[in-house]
Amino acid sequence: MKQMKFYITLSFFAVLSVLAACNKDVSFEESLKPLQPSKVDITAGSWKLVFMTSTTQVPLAAPLPVTDPTYQAELATIKDTQSKLNKTQRSAIEYWSGGGILRWNQILRELVARHNLPPAPRDDGSYPVPDSENPFADPQFPFANPPYAARAYSYVSVAQYDAMKVAWYYKYLYNRPAPYTNDGNVQALVPKTDLPSYPSEDAVMSGVTAELLKALFPADIEEITLKAGEQRNAALWSGKASATDISAGLALGKSIAALFIARAGGDGMKNAIGNKAQWQQLSDNATSRGETAWVSLDSPARPPMLPFFGAVKAWMMTPVQIVSERPLPPPSTSSAEMKDQVTEVKYYADNMTRERIAIVHKWADGAGTYTPPGHWNDIAAEYIRDANFSEVRAARAYALLNMALHDAAVGCWESKYFYFNPRPTQLDASIKTGTGIPNFPAYTSGHSTFSGSAATVLSYLFPEAATYFNGQAKEASDSRLFGAIHYRADIEMGLLHGQRIGSYTVNFAAGDGAGN
Amino acid sequence: MKRFYTIIFSLLITAGYSQTLTDGLMMPKKSICTGFLYNVDQWKNYWEGTLKRDNQNIGTVTTQSITWMGSYGLTDRINLIAMVPYVSTKASGGTLHGQQGVQDLTVGGKYRFFQQQLGAGTFKTFVVGTFSTPLTNYTPDFFPLSLGFASTNVAARFTANYVIEKGFYVNASTGYTMRSNVALDRPSYYTNNTFYETNQVKMPNVFDYLIDLGYHKKALQVVLTYMQQNTMGGGDIRRQDMPFVSNQMNVSKVQGLVMYYLPKPKGLAVRASGAYVITGRNVGQTTSLMGGLLYTFNFSKEQ
Repeated sequence: MKQMKFYITLSFFAVLSVLAACNKDVSFEESLKPLQPSKVDITAGSWKLVFMTSTTQVPLAAPLPVTDPTYQAELATIKDTQSKLNKTQRSAIEYWSGGGILRWNQILRELVARHNLPPAPRDDGSYPVPDSENPFADPQFPFANPPYAARAYSYVSVAQYDAMKVAWYYKYLYNRPAPYTNDGNVQALVPKTDLPSYPSEDAVMSGVTAELLKALFPADIEEITLKAGEQRNAALWSGKASATDISAGLALGKSIAALFIARAGGDGMKNAIGNKAQWQQLSDNATSRGETAWVSLDSPARPPMLPFFGAVKAWMMTPVQIVSERPLPPPSTSSAEMKDQVTEVKYYADNMTRERIAIVHKWADGAGTYTPPGHWNDIAAEYIRDANFSEVRAARAYALLNMALHDAAVGCWESKYFYFNPRPTQLDASIKTGTGIPNFPAYTSGHSTFSGSAATVLSYLFPEAATYFNGQAKEASDSRLFGAIHYRADIEMGLLHGQRIGSYTVNFAAGDGAGN
Repeated sequence: MKRFYTIIFSLLITAGYSQTLTDGLMMPKKSICTGFLYNVDQWKNYWEGTLKRDNQNIGTVTTQSITWMGSYGLTDRINLIAMVPYVSTKASGGTLHGQQGVQDLTVGGKYRFFQQQLGAGTFKTFVVGTFSTPLTNYTPDFFPLSLGFASTNVAARFTANYVIEKGFYVNASTGYTMRSNVALDRPSYYTNNTFYETNQVKMPNVFDYLIDLGYHKKALQVVLTYMQQNTMGGGDIRRQDMPFVSNQMNVSKVQGLVMYYLPKPKGLAVRASGAYVITGRNVGQTTSLMGGLLYTFNFSKEQ
């Protein structure tokens, strides 16, 4: 008996100590190796710009010659700094050596996830509207919902892309080598390249990105500013850029950001919320066509999410093209076909297998997450990383992806609010869902449209993985039917619509001079 | 088969009472207590971080469970305890689908390592070790409607108990639960001011303590309990966000329990309890009601 007691006690403490010894820490960042681009993309200065009118739209004066004492003093400062780098400085160099474009994209996904929360209702059942002039209040600004996020990802990515091309243009115009090339005593703490360093691409990127992020996520100004400063410091400390490479880059980046911020001010986003009378008009339009109009299934009923986002300026499509690509009407809400579609949704609601729940959750990308556009940025990250793209080519990949995602948001929202089609649960209240019902009309599925456009662009960029991208897009699309929040018509048409929208961006990419 | 029936019918009834991992009671050697407990939890208000609120998109959340449990007296000083609940969740408001299924298996050992007459009563101390793990692949990523946390846990507990002759007792117990990481179906999540690009979630450990004031004589046991449970880390639910599996879930709870061995049939006991959450953090203000039937067998040859 004593023996048994002993063994029980022993095994108990054994299990306990095994568990206590486990390292439960979860690493939260993407791991990135120091970027060693497979090619420096010397010609990027001549690649087609997306929004800027010319590479010299923002002028940049020539740098002092490398023999100038001022520049020599800059080199001396670098050497002095490098001789006493501390741990924090070294980890900053390591962090940013993974590639600025990839890092900023990751930061942007975090900002979206942080701000993707709808306002809480007031006691009287009404909802406050986030105020960009008072971003720290409750509700915080912004509510980074999928259209807001798609637009944000696209502004940052497109501005970075145009800015990188301009940086490359000036780099090869002035051809000032990097400090570690000019002076053998300056260490290269990141992989060496032949890329000229004036203006510093890191500084251009930090300037253009931080200015846009501050406009899009004003409550995070401190974190954004610190990250941007750290990126510039990392460029300096690593022997990659001198003080004037950086100051010129920062000024250039900020000026380019101003051009994009001006565009954002007039792209129609300000009118995307609309007012009560306009919302009623959307409902009346559907009713006058003999259709059951969408109603909010939130309690208390919430105003529709960005009902006029369909009129926001797209990147690769004209307003006429947005309308001409609009999906054909869904089955009438009173038709037998629609009844069948509701029955199918009901089947999935009542038969949620663990496998389907996993798919629903994998792609839910709802409140509190980086949204479906963020999910596709996440998917793209490892392909961009593994391709060892130069910063300008990485910027191109994200710009193409995010232009397509933004245009998908515009096209999909245009369709949603044109048709104002109810969700399955509105037509059959017994349909319980596997994820939250988004607060906007059903036709077509946003997930499907986003995923169709993203898979089309990524398949162009990484054709070897096309099967994978298209499979993921199909799964994302199906997840909305499995979760019982969309009809089959929404997901199938959404996927096709997204692919059509993505093809506009692919057409641009095919002729932008970058090759593939 | 015949022999089996013989055993059943020849079982002698003991006055053993050990049913829980936290109390100060033991099953005598070679006796088994087993049965089913039905529990219903309900809450309408919850704490979003420290802000108490309701949410019409959830309405009232109801969690029902039927738990099989059994405890066995390996010796008079060592008891083994096991339990498995079947859980079903639903929300009265909003559109979210409830979940149901078998939750976690818990097995534990309870060891009375000290007992001494002290004044008018008896003082006893216990250590308890438990291990629990999910029996099904349910998702922990659907709070407040998930079946559970889906972590594999080991817990250590220390209990001290003082019984005076008249049957009154006071019992204090404190436990520490170590929880394994859990996996989500999605590749990223945001919690505790950090964005995680992984499906792995680090689960903070849990500390608890409770104090019972009880009466236990012959067939009757009555207990009043105050319990405090704190998660040692984790983030708050953000404004208007959903709860998350690794949230800092803290609970202060009071409970009343009655257990009574029926005169007939011998060995059959009814057990009922009610509990109420006084205050909490990132949890619902739950009212719980439990009822169950437990049957005690004794295999001991001496009896």
